Amino acid sequence: MHELSIAEDLSAIVLETALRETLAKVTRVNVSIGQLVQIVPGLFESAFIECVRDTVAGQAELCIEIVPVRMKCRKCGADIGIEDNNFSCSACGSDDLEMINGRELYIKSIEGE
Amino acid sequence: MRNILDRNQNRANEVRRLLAEEKVLMVNIISSPGAGKTTLLERTLGELNTKFRIGIIEGDITTDRDARRLQKFNIPITLINTEGGCHLDSHSISKVLDTFSLKDLDVIFVENVGNLVCPSQFDLGENFKLAVVSTAEGDDKPAKYPMLFREARAVLLNKVDLIPYTNFRMLNFRKDMEKINRNIPVFELSCTRGDGLGAWFEWISSRITENCNRE
Ligand SMILES: Nc1nc2c(ncn2[C@@H]2O[C@H](COP(=O)(O)OP(=O)(O)OP(=O)(O)O)[C@@H](O)[C@H]2O)c(=O)[nH]1
Ligand SMILES: [Mg+2]
Ligand SMILES: [Zn+2]
Repeated sequence: MHELSIAEDLSAIVLETALRETLAKVTRVNVSIGQLVQIVPGLFESAFIECVRDTVAGQAELCIEIVPVRMKCRKCGADIGIEDNNFSCSACGSDDLEMINGRELYIKSIEGE
Repeated sequence: MRNILDRNQNRANEVRRLLAEEKVLMVNIISSPGAGKTTLLERTLGELNTKFRIGIIEGDITTDRDARRLQKFNIPITLINTEGGCHLDSHSISKVLDTFSLKDLDVIFVENVGNLVCPSQFDLGENFKLAVVSTAEGDDKPAKYPMLFREARAVLLNKVDLIPYTNFRMLNFRKDMEKINRNIPVFELSCTRGDGLGAWFEWISSRITENCNRE
């Protein structure tokens, strides 16, 4: 259900950007969302459509990229993917990891005319 | 690239700054509905109320039942009704912060709305999150909701008294926790029967004291 609040914040940024850039129409919104955010893309999309109904972004297409989890090992420097919730380094076994991807909620671009 | 939740993040940072200035620790308690957050607070207040100056923010979808359960402790409690919303956000916290006299507090416990996914995504400005799970929910919660268990500073496994009546397997739970996050303590508790509470009181007291003594 966090899809709704995230969609609300997203639509606010999209509309504010459209106003600032004097777009007559927003055609496409590209977002990256980390796998750990556990968003349901269909729900997120419906929530977004609801939020931008009857605005300049009313016809915009929302493109959601789900980003898999990646971590950097602080011990050996390896850049590793995380599978099956195994949060330890596949190279050296250390669990001292820094998250690179997997938790993001980013707007990559807003397209319009 | 812009963070979609940057409004929430900015406000959370403000809250964090404010609390740090006054040396108030804020703990964001997250669990499924009914895992035992309010019962944990009742037990914790019962023990620590005389040792620390405690405030409570109760996140509740529509009622004031949990807030009423804590009234007997005579401490500052502020209720936030989310009106259907499935989580608290930093704006709602920021709005109620001035109902507290921060200089007269050591810690604020925030009972988030019962839900394992949504609250984990919204920074409130807390010092740390606490994950509460109960054995009745099954042993697979860390595996299914890894984000919370990655971000929490400690896990409280509640209702261990019910293990004989459920298919909860401690070994499975511990194995998953070991994979997801082996750097945080897991307390096995029964908030009704009292098991494990001593270790929890000791741990949380250290966190509060540590924060009060910070330079
Ligand atoms: N058997 C058993 N029951 C418990 C324990 N802790 C809490 N309960 C019971 O579980 C029920 C829910 O507890 P609450 O403390 O209200 O749970 P909560 O997480 O605050 O619930 P919400 O605020 O609705 O999300 C109550 O009936 C408690 O008495 C425990 O350790 N063992
Ligand atoms: Mg409660
Ligand atoms: Zn490594």
